[in-house]
Amino acid sequence: MTDRRWQAAAGAAFVLLAVLVYLYNPATSRLFPPCPLRALTGLSCPGCGSLRALHQLLHGHLRAGFQLNPLAVIALPYLGWEAARALAGQPPRVLRARTIWLLLLGILAFWLLRNL
Amino acid sequence: MYCPKCGSPNDDQSKHCVQCGEALTRVVPPPPQAPAPGPAADAQLAPLNPPGPGKNVPTYLAPAILATLFCCLPPGVVAIVFAAQVSSKLTMGDHAGALAASRQAKIWSWVAFGLGLAHGLFWVVMFALGMGLSMLNVR
Repeated sequence: MTDRRWQAAAGAAFVLLAVLVYLYNPATSRLFPPCPLRALTGLSCPGCGSLRALHQLLHGHLRAGFQLNPLAVIALPYLGWEAARALAGQPPRVLRARTIWLLLLGILAFWLLRNL
Repeated sequence: MYCPKCGSPNDDQSKHCVQCGEALTRVVPPPPQAPAPGPAADAQLAPLNPPGPGKNVPTYLAPAILATLFCCLPPGVVAIVFAAQVSSKLTMGDHAGALAASRQAKIWSWVAFGLGLAHGLFWVVMFALGMGLSMLNVR
C-alpha cells in the first residue's frame, strides 16, 4: 500500500475507534479489552484508565477524564499537534534528551504513585 | 537517500518518503550544509541539533507515548528510552548512532502497536464468541 492509503486506513480506524469510545463507556461496557497487567496482577499501569478518560473527554467531562488518567489527558494536545505536523508533511520535532528522560521519569513515578 | 522535500533519511529503494510521503523518483544526494525546508522554524525548535542531514532523524516520541499511555506499557517504555537516545546522540553529533536508535524506537513502537492490536482483536473475537454462545443458550 502507498503511504496515502495507509493514512486513509489509519484515519478510518481512528474515526471508528472514536465513535465506539464515544458510544460505549469502557467503564461499564465489555466491548473494550481490559489492561493485561491489571487483569493479571491487579496493579494499574500508567495507561490504565486512558480509554475511560477518552470517553469522558468526548462527552465534554474534562475533570472526570483528568481524574481517570491525568497523564493521558496531558499527552493528548502534544500527540494531536505531532499528528497535525505529520499530516502537513512536516518532520517531527526533536525534543531535548533531558526532556524525554524527565517525561519517562514522570511516567514511571505516576505508575508507582497510583499503585500506593 | 534523503527526501528532497523534508530531508528525512530513506532507503535507497523507497518509492515514497517514510516521513512525508513525497515521491522519491530519482536519487537525491544528501542535502549540503543548509537543509531546504523551514530552516528557521526547525532551528528554533531544536537548537542543539547540528546542521546537516542528521537534523531530521525522527525520535518517534509521539508514537512511543501513544503506545505507553493508550496501549501497552513495556515496549512503549523501551521506545521512549530509544527516543531519548536519538535526541542525545543528535546533540553529540553522532549521526549514525542517532539513526540506529531511531530505527530501534520505530521497531519498538510498532511492536507495542502490534501487541495492542493483537490483544484488542483477540478480545473482540472472544466478545463476539461469547455473544454467539449466549444467544445459542437462549434458544
